[in-house]
Amino acid sequence: MPCVILSARHLQGFIPLWILFMRNKMFSCYRMKTNVVIRLVLLLTVCTYAVKTQTATPVLTPADLQAKITTNTVILKQPHCYFNVTCPACELWLVPALSSATSTFDADRTNINILSLSPYPSAFGPLFKNYFLTKVGLLSAFPCSASSDSLYFKVGENGNCTTINCNGILPTGSVDRFKYVLVNGSSIINETNWSDNITLYTPQNPESIYDGLSARSAAMIVITTILSVAAGLLLLLFFIMLCLFCCRKKDSKPITVKSSTPITVNSSTPITVNSPTPITVNSSTPITVESSEHIPHYDTHLINRKHPYDNHAYELERKK
Amino acid sequence: MASGGIATLMYLLIALNILAAAASLALFAVAIWVAVDANKLYAISAVSGKDDIFAGAWIAIFTGFAFFLTCLFGIYAALKRSRRLMLVYLFLMFIIFLFECASAITAATNRDYLVGNSNLVKKQMLQYYADDSSKGKQITDTWNRVMQEDKCCGADGPTDWLTFNSTYKAIYPGSYPWPSNCCEKLSNAEVKDPIGCNDGGSTLFRKGCFQYIESVLSRYTWAISWYGFAVLMLVFFMLLLAMVYYIQLD
Repeated sequence: MPCVILSARHLQGFIPLWILFMRNKMFSCYRMKTNVVIRLVLLLTVCTYAVKTQTATPVLTPADLQAKITTNTVILKQPHCYFNVTCPACELWLVPALSSATSTFDADRTNINILSLSPYPSAFGPLFKNYFLTKVGLLSAFPCSASSDSLYFKVGENGNCTTINCNGILPTGSVDRFKYVLVNGSSIINETNWSDNITLYTPQNPESIYDGLSARSAAMIVITTILSVAAGLLLLLFFIMLCLFCCRKKDSKPITVKSSTPITVNSSTPITVNSPTPITVNSSTPITVESSEHIPHYDTHLINRKHPYDNHAYELERKK
Repeated sequence: MASGGIATLMYLLIALNILAAAASLALFAVAIWVAVDANKLYAISAVSGKDDIFAGAWIAIFTGFAFFLTCLFGIYAALKRSRRLMLVYLFLMFIIFLFECASAITAATNRDYLVGNSNLVKKQMLQYYADDSSKGKQITDTWNRVMQEDKCCGADGPTDWLTFNSTYKAIYPGSYPWPSNCCEKLSNAEVKDPIGCNDGGSTLFRKGCFQYIESVLSRYTWAISWYGFAVLMLVFFMLLLAMVYYIQLD
């Protein structure tokens, strides 16, 4: 018989509609007899009822909180609608336990003094029970109608406290599981499932952060290379420029003008020839210097004579 | 070169010198702005010994002003057509060029050390926040101000305080997981919602402060290094021109 087995959660709250739907499906797929259908409906209703009281599981709060899990505290969703019983004096208690200690609690659960069997101050350690119980509140304070995602319960609120059932912090970095239990007087009458493993933060040493150079940015590489090249280029050009001018200054050889053809120098402005070394003008052809300005002309045909201005006509008379 | 050519060169050189003088005066002003550090993040770079962004700013103050004076001198030397003055000008400009190069390169390199990734800032915060030493007090004041101004917590987020041990956790073990400055505060400096902030609700600042710190330090660095680079490129071409002018002078 194709009976779709839905999980407990899907069944909650939708029983009338579900019954109608299944009935219609039955009629469309098969021509079933009515009494079989009625039996099916009754079975499923019983299943749904039983599911409600046993398969609630504590979860982390779905609210948007940054401190859901810290190094030693956990924030859980409040236990609204986890136990569908009417019990005015009942109280809701929470059992935080290391994930390795869940079996210890399950074994101790039926003990008469369960509430004080593992006091908080001596709860955690290698030889201890590694669970404790803390009171959450009266069952009547958590009705189904008030269920909300924004309501939460913080485990570890009392810090490192000293009373037996205080809401103390958990061991740093431990892996924990949680269970809500319904307590009447001093005995546990009902409980939820164990939650999933919740791993607390193990804080690392900040010395372990590597704070050396991560990578060189592209901008830094561009700036460094281009500026280095520019500075080097400038230095090079500077030296070349200096060398160029040191060499040109020492360049002063005697001016030598040689030519086999007549040299003609014409100028409308005065000709000035300056030289640190003596000027020598050699020519096999006559040198003619023409100028619009007056050039003093010196008589040079008797230049080899010692006494050029002596009159020889008077020499004979002197000897007489 | 014909005399007309030399005159053109001279006018060009004078115009470029005027431009370079104005640009280097602006560099001087920008470097003063960086050195003043309006965002007061100097402590973050000083405590780790990587404060050369600000050293680069100080060098740029001096080189900016020196460039300005030397460019004015260069205008005079170009007008005088004197070889000696042009040589002095070229020599001075080259020295200042080297110093400005140093400033630009230093600022860019140190930025990479500080804000390449959030590790250095995070480690510093975890080690020095709430510490009693002088370094600790500087870091605490800086972070308190940054967290309240930019509405942020931790380097990458509030989980930094959970993932790592810190001096803060060692000094205040039973207190909030994160400093109270991570929470919204009222105008009288009291935390608005102590329990909500302790549990990490909406009054806790969620984003990390590294983005803000990185953007401020990058802004300082780009002012010194990229703008210094731009001024140096202008000066480089101007010096090439000045060398040509020197050669053409008689």
